[in-house]
Amino acid sequence: MTPTAPRPGARRPQPPEGPGRGRRPRPLTVAPVAFAPASGAATGGAADRPGRPPVPPVEPRLTVHAIDTYRGTTEAGLRLDLSYEENGTYRPLERYEALAGGRTKDPLLVGDELKEGRYEITLHLAEYFAGIGARLPEPPYLDEVPLRFTVADAAQRHHVAILFSPWNYSYYRGS
Amino acid sequence: MAGISTHVLDVAHGRPGAGMRIDFSVLDDGAYRLVRTLRTNQEGRTDEPVLKPEEAKAGKYELLFHVGEYYAGLRGGRPAAQFVERVPVRFTVFDVTQHFHVPLLCTPSSCTTYRGS
Repeated sequence: MTPTAPRPGARRPQPPEGPGRGRRPRPLTVAPVAFAPASGAATGGAADRPGRPPVPPVEPRLTVHAIDTYRGTTEAGLRLDLSYEENGTYRPLERYEALAGGRTKDPLLVGDELKEGRYEITLHLAEYFAGIGARLPEPPYLDEVPLRFTVADAAQRHHVAILFSPWNYSYYRGS
Repeated sequence: MAGISTHVLDVAHGRPGAGMRIDFSVLDDGAYRLVRTLRTNQEGRTDEPVLKPEEAKAGKYELLFHVGEYYAGLRGGRPAAQFVERVPVRFTVFDVTQHFHVPLLCTPSSCTTYRGS
């Protein structure tokens, strides 16, 4: 180990970029920064390019991305129902249909539509897999799959990342 | 062996999810009716089967995992809003001669379930 090598746990050294000198490191406690647009296309990291203004704080929103790990790519038409818990029951808010690729055309909720509390997204998996012609038992193991999650801070962006197949699913708070 | 079993793994800590409450329900006339409440043992399994082979019937079932309460317990009971709190896993027993093992892998902000064996 050379004297300049970082110690374990030490902060990662800043990349030695000429034009970027004098840039302050981004604070670690800000709200999540803007991500790629819903099309999924990478932006090329414009936010990191020197000389560009810092990314403004993003509007809170709820977005979803559901990936069919059975097919390897999500076909268009996966139906999602969004509900919000009130007085112990989930009240339906809106119904969406995911595009090919597994995202919705628009965020499910934007700005002050996103509230603190408990939400549920129901995935209509049996309908989806029947639609793409998957050969499954009848009735299939998974049909309408409820994914419940809590929004503790409505000022933050919330992205629900979902992986699903006819036999399993995962979801997590993505970014 | 037919019937239903489960197993909870706390993958945030790399150990079994011990002491987690699970409500087991069956879909009956369009609503989930509680059959029994279970609690995971030190291995993250239940001492008794969720559903014994002789009780197995084709139908729709729900295992409601109290993940938020489990992590609150690890924090000495202090509640903290986390992304994943109560996790209902709804599945269909389509063949009573088959066994249905329904595990849950969880963290405070994610969970995974699959048909195991």
